[in-house]
Amino acid sequence: MGRENPAEKALGLLRRRLCDPSFVFKPFSDSPDSNYSKLKFIISSSVTEACNNSILLLGPRGSGKIAVLELVISDLLLEFPDMISVIKLSGLLHSDDNCAFKEIARQLCVEHQLLFSKMASFDDNSQFMIAMLRECGLAHKTIIFVLDEFDLFSQGKQRLLYSLLDAMQSVSSQAVVIGVSCRLDADQLLEKRVRSRFSHRKLLFLPPNKEDMQRFRAVSNMDLVTGFLSLENFKTALSNVQRQPKLECIKVHMLTCGTDCSILELYILVCMKKLEIKEQNSYNFNSIMKEYKTVHDSFQTSDYYAQNVCLRAFEHLLQRELISFTDSRGNNQSIEFRPVKLLVSSHELHQGLKSYRSCPAILQKLMAG
Amino acid sequence: MGKEESPQITRRTTRYSSAAVLKNSVETKASDTNLPSLNDLLYGEEGKPISLDDVLSSFPGRKIQILELMHILGPVNCPMVPLFIYGGTFTGKTSITLQIFRHLNRPFVYSGCLTCYNPRILFESVLNQLLLHRKNEANGYSSAKRCERPSDFVNFLREALVSVTTSLRGNSGKSGSKKSDKRANGNMVYLIFDNLELVREWDKSSTILPFLFNLYDILKMPELGLIFISNTSPDTYYSNMGYVEPTPLYFSDYSEDDLRQIFMRNQENKKLYSSFLEVVLRPFFRITRRVDELSTAFSQLYKKYCEPLSDPGVVPNEEMKRKLFSNLQPHIPPSMNDIFKVSSQPSTKVGATKEAKWKSGTKRSGGFEAIDQLDLHMSTSAKYLLLSAFLASRNPATLDASLFDSTGGSDNRKRKRKPSEKSLEQKEAVEQDLLMRGPGTFPLERLLAIFQCITSLAEGLLEEEEQGNDGLGVQGYDNSLMSDVLLQLSSLCNANFIVKGGSCPLEGSTRYRSTICEDLALKSKQKFLGGICKSKWLENDEMEKRAETEETKEGVKQTNTCEKCGASFKKPAYLKQHTRSHSDENYKDAREPVRPDLPELAKARNPTNG
Amino acid sequence: MTPSPAMAASDLASQPPSTAPDSSENDNIQPFYVLHKASSSRNSHRKSAARRIDLSPSKPAAAKAQVDARKAFESVWSKIHSSIKDVLRDVNTNVFNEIHSWVCQSFLAITSSGVPTFAQATRSFPIQTHTTSKQLFTGLVLIKNMEFVDDLLTFKELGLCLKSHGCHVANVSSVDILTKNGVGGCLRSLLRQFVMGNLDAADVSILASWYRELGNQNSPVIIIIDDMERCSRSVLSDFILMLSEWAGKIPMILIMGVTTLDAPRNVLPSHVLQQLCPSKFILGSPAERMNAVVDASLVRWGSGFCIGHKVAIFLRNFFLNQEGTLTSFIRALKIACVQHFSMEPLSSILGLLAEEDGEGLQGERLALSSKVEAQTDSKLALGLTELMHSQKCWSTVVMCLYEAGKYNKVQLLDLLCEALDPDFYNSMASKNQTRSGKGFEISSSSDHFMARLNLRKGGPIHQAIQKVRDLPAASLSQLLKSWENLSMDILEIYDKVKELQRMVKFEEGKSLKQDFPDLAKRHASRSPANVKESKTINDKAATLISTMIRDFMKPIECVPYHEVVCFKDVEKLKSALIGDPRRMIQVDLLEFHKFLQCSCCSKHCDVLLPSMPDTSIMYTLAQEHGDLINLHDWFQSFKTIVVNCSTKGKQRKGQQSPLPKKRKDTNENQNEGEASIQKFDMEILDLVVYRARFCRALTELQITGLIRMPNKRRPDCVQRVAFGL
Repeated sequence: MGRENPAEKALGLLRRRLCDPSFVFKPFSDSPDSNYSKLKFIISSSVTEACNNSILLLGPRGSGKIAVLELVISDLLLEFPDMISVIKLSGLLHSDDNCAFKEIARQLCVEHQLLFSKMASFDDNSQFMIAMLRECGLAHKTIIFVLDEFDLFSQGKQRLLYSLLDAMQSVSSQAVVIGVSCRLDADQLLEKRVRSRFSHRKLLFLPPNKEDMQRFRAVSNMDLVTGFLSLENFKTALSNVQRQPKLECIKVHMLTCGTDCSILELYILVCMKKLEIKEQNSYNFNSIMKEYKTVHDSFQTSDYYAQNVCLRAFEHLLQRELISFTDSRGNNQSIEFRPVKLLVSSHELHQGLKSYRSCPAILQKLMAG
Repeated sequence: MGKEESPQITRRTTRYSSAAVLKNSVETKASDTNLPSLNDLLYGEEGKPISLDDVLSSFPGRKIQILELMHILGPVNCPMVPLFIYGGTFTGKTSITLQIFRHLNRPFVYSGCLTCYNPRILFESVLNQLLLHRKNEANGYSSAKRCERPSDFVNFLREALVSVTTSLRGNSGKSGSKKSDKRANGNMVYLIFDNLELVREWDKSSTILPFLFNLYDILKMPELGLIFISNTSPDTYYSNMGYVEPTPLYFSDYSEDDLRQIFMRNQENKKLYSSFLEVVLRPFFRITRRVDELSTAFSQLYKKYCEPLSDPGVVPNEEMKRKLFSNLQPHIPPSMNDIFKVSSQPSTKVGATKEAKWKSGTKRSGGFEAIDQLDLHMSTSAKYLLLSAFLASRNPATLDASLFDSTGGSDNRKRKRKPSEKSLEQKEAVEQDLLMRGPGTFPLERLLAIFQCITSLAEGLLEEEEQGNDGLGVQGYDNSLMSDVLLQLSSLCNANFIVKGGSCPLEGSTRYRSTICEDLALKSKQKFLGGICKSKWLENDEMEKRAETEETKEGVKQTNTCEKCGASFKKPAYLKQHTRSHSDENYKDAREPVRPDLPELAKARNPTNG
Repeated sequence: MTPSPAMAASDLASQPPSTAPDSSENDNIQPFYVLHKASSSRNSHRKSAARRIDLSPSKPAAAKAQVDARKAFESVWSKIHSSIKDVLRDVNTNVFNEIHSWVCQSFLAITSSGVPTFAQATRSFPIQTHTTSKQLFTGLVLIKNMEFVDDLLTFKELGLCLKSHGCHVANVSSVDILTKNGVGGCLRSLLRQFVMGNLDAADVSILASWYRELGNQNSPVIIIIDDMERCSRSVLSDFILMLSEWAGKIPMILIMGVTTLDAPRNVLPSHVLQQLCPSKFILGSPAERMNAVVDASLVRWGSGFCIGHKVAIFLRNFFLNQEGTLTSFIRALKIACVQHFSMEPLSSILGLLAEEDGEGLQGERLALSSKVEAQTDSKLALGLTELMHSQKCWSTVVMCLYEAGKYNKVQLLDLLCEALDPDFYNSMASKNQTRSGKGFEISSSSDHFMARLNLRKGGPIHQAIQKVRDLPAASLSQLLKSWENLSMDILEIYDKVKELQRMVKFEEGKSLKQDFPDLAKRHASRSPANVKESKTINDKAATLISTMIRDFMKPIECVPYHEVVCFKDVEKLKSALIGDPRRMIQVDLLEFHKFLQCSCCSKHCDVLLPSMPDTSIMYTLAQEHGDLINLHDWFQSFKTIVVNCSTKGKQRKGQQSPLPKKRKDTNENQNEGEASIQKFDMEILDLVVYRARFCRALTELQITGLIRMPNKRRPDCVQRVAFGL
């Protein structure tokens, strides 16, 4: 493939844009009522007026909270060079206060070309942070704390949030705390002492358009010879992408790739279904085997297999998570005694059987009645 | 995960064999010339990457997935969203991914969560590969960086990725000048996480799993490509804090003809094998579709199939096929019904006996059991204990009285009687219950009570036997049996015949459960009483389920109170052991109530003798 | 040796038995014996304090007797022990060889597909090879015993044996494979044994790089999990999966000890079983080993020491009923040996015998007469040599019987028990007195022989002879050959066997002259003629063995002087072996007055006196309750007993169990401390003290494991653990 293929270039460009989350929001940046401009206004005002501030950015995942924030911060960094220093924390990484303080200290050191000691204790780090806040306040530098996954910070004692917001009460300090969370009730999680110190300014983000993943698949399917995006590209992409909720997924399992379960496994599924129809509230492998045997005796099916083979099939089903144990613990019991439940609805099972070419007729009959 | 053999592999195996000849020299060279370089991130260290057609041909029935994967990875240097590959085991997820990377010749880092069994090792293995660090005895098999926290990992990872990508850029810049396929292709680095489903068990996946899924957003490096490989579908990865769904790619199981192609690959004498497959594939396909299970079953069957043939190279015609099939046919059902065949070593001296034993071993596995002698040594008291544990966990505690009280002989008459209707459905219920609950648990006291009853019964028997045959009397037998019951019990627990909950039998109330199956109990019984009480006790199990009601009634009716002190007990067995604890002189008559069983036991064994 | 008073004593002791029966012998030896037993210094001190002059020489005598008894014991036991060890090793060797050859085969099978290059082996991603290459070769070693003790050593030896063949071996046991350590635990122990370094982050890749670095690719890596069923299932399956992930890169071979063949099926889930490519080996069953051990230690006249009939039966029952382990059997044997030497003064001679028994009988006689002459008269020496001779004959006959019984699965231990039975022999002998006229005629069919030596029907000896009677000719000749080998050095038996063999040869020749198909179906369907002649031969063999029994199988207890070498005291052994601690504790609690000899308790020990120790008071009270004891009632009854102690306890000092004493003087302190205290406070104080004593006694009972702490549901009741009595 020639490297100068323009289609390839185009594809590269498209992919780069699709993969860059902040790209989508660039065009909206100038419109006055966009989150971008609100956020920018807030932060820049607090930078210029040298006051403390705190905001919550709320919105579902993929709604571009972080992206917009990144845009704003990058622009502000251009506007006010060396008046802003940004500290980024993520609730996933720094949910426990100790390593959160450590991380803050580390980033501060990086920002101000100081030497960071790993050995520093929790108290040292918090003292250091407060001291730095004061210093920056006196030097009229604003520190922007970005707390991603804000709700995770509210687990535990919330010492980080408290000491942060408490330090911001003093006039000398000059900082902005931006909490980013996908839980709309993020501020309800805060303790009283923290919430009282928190300014309840929130920015809500609209849920994103879900197609961009599909877009990505479609674009990646673009054929490089013509360099056109065809309609079926999008169709295939859609069929590939949409499979979200669980039951849906199993249905897809059974329908599109109905060959997934072997006949024996289907037998087991059907037997479980029959047991459920019989209103047996709970059943386990043994009772399933009993059912299986009765089915075999009544219909004289060709495939009646030994118990351990059925047990293997049973374990396959467990691995596929088409069925699962009702109780989480109870590992001391051996597997054939633990009660199980079916994760496929009868409707899906039915459709799966129907869609399945080489499925024996008995199973259909059993499912039907 | 999936391992299919590919043409390249056959080539490589030839290379292997050559290597195997001059092994040491090659190895030593390899080990010392192996300076860490960026090429360690590539797949094939030897020479040119393979072509796409080779990949396609080496994985039959996987065209769609391969092409899709190629598309998602995209051309050189263009970023990708995180990819989530899922599908059943042995559907070639891992191997296809690896082969494609070999084909694309791009740098990647693979870490399987099976090998890296906790977060720390996972992180460190990723970092080691990125930092081109290899554990050896020089560095005491320690890893480059020690990191256990995700936060540290992110920092290290960022540094490492930056360094790698910059050096890759340098390479590609140079590679413009002189084309050498040893150079990595493009400046993107891909992280592959295999067996992701295992991560769900780590510390209940509270943080690690969301962290891994959000890694792309956290790092925000377009040069990073993330690929997750998992057995289970994405929606089994539910976590209360969501994540941006990676784009899924599904590997479905193989269809029947896919399997045929797979098995036909690199068989010498394809004709013969295809005729073999025609015979076996369809029936086995109904049971399982896993390549590994099928291949193990087939490899054994194919040997049988080829046995009558003189030369393996023969091309079968119709009636030969028929013959072969006819002598293969008996072997098919057993191998279908067996999942774990133990082959015993052909040995000169002990061969015959082994074969015999082995048969009895596999008969069980086949599910058609033959009750034969128990083939492991167990001391008598251990057997009694095992038996009493079996009874205790199979019968409800209310039945002990009716089983073992002084009128225990009465169940003979009951055995004759036809079961009534209500007792029948009661039996139904009991069986259902047993089916659900499995063997029940019981406290130590109950076990010991039953044990004592059985012991006293059996002593009577043994004494009877003695007048019959040899005078190897069991003097000092009864009292010494009781002595080390706890010892025997613990060794039984060790041998997994009895499962024990809790720690020490003396403190707290520990409950036990016997896990042995019926026929083991039967064996042990028939072994140690020479088939005498085989009829009695196990039929008790069946019988009492039938006649539960009346027996319990009478069990309640007769009162168990100690005549010395007015203490009363639920079960006469307890009473027995209580009276035993009074002193030694009424120790003998404490065992009196059990005696009446002996005559009818004697009756029971007379027919057996002759 | 210089003659010393001790010798005199022993001489005096050994004088009677030459003339008198055993019983008198024992009480003759009594004084010496008592003194010997009571060598605990205090006792002898008192005596010597009483009468110094005439007993002072006997003290060194006792000491000396002890010393050379110990010496003798050491020499004898070391003999027995070493022989047992050798035998056990021999039992295992061929299984080990099998395993080793299998290991070599599977290693070839692994490497035949090709050795991955260094980089491939150490990279993290799997190599693309065939599906079956992920399978681990697994050897399932069947230990045919529920107990595991005997086999711990076996697996260690297996490891050593494989190491000696140059494999890399690691022994992993169930203590490494625990749920709380997870996979890391077993990996760590693996690496500790292979890489010899303690690593904080254990990882299979380390193993891979280790295996590749130190150019040791020519030998497989063997992992021995000795008790597979005891491992935690989840961890074990994870471990196996992880290993199978790397099976392509490191040639790993698994060896697991299992009790039954379907153990892996029960322990592991199917997708893990899929990774194993098993093949099975069978260790020697406990019965075989037992036969070997008995043969080595008791039957063959190796170490002079032997056991009486009752002891043998006790040991047998102990093995069959109590502990099915060889270890315990050997331990029992050792205890018997120790006690024999500690009880039996003359047994020190046995030590001398044990030193030299390489030479033939005459040589021994000389050696004996030279050695023993000094200390005893020649009668003893003579008797001893006689004893040794008869013992040789006896063991030979027993071994012959065992050879015959092998065809009928007769256990040597049972055979031994019957062969040691003295009254069986005596009755036989008495019968022989009557019809001793015609001695030994080979022609007569052996039926009335059987009738004569009255064997128990179904007894092992009887079985053996029956077996001899109907044995196919081929195996009969084999049997005869083995007899010949056994009876090499006892001529009387030897030449008879020879003669019989000649006859057999002759028969063979005749039958060969006959038509061949007849010979072919000779054993299967016996044509009358062959039936007859083969019958005659079998009969002759049977007669031979029965006469051998009659003439030569003389149980040790029927030989004079057997007390020197033979241990007969069952009761001692039993008490030493089955301590039965629980029972002891309870009995002692009930009959404590035997220990503290205080007048009051021993006078009327059935009524509960306040002066008794609290623990036994409470235990006796507990007898009245059922399994569940209500704490409150218990305390009340306890108080009622102890209270009248404290009322009338004041004036009685002297003999009182320590507890109430202490309690009381504390009491008195308070009394003289505040004389003005009210009686009311006194009672409260007493109540507190009672409670303290109650609790203390309760704890003691709980520690001894007689009661169980109250559980959540019924906090006011304790449960008594009433068994072992």
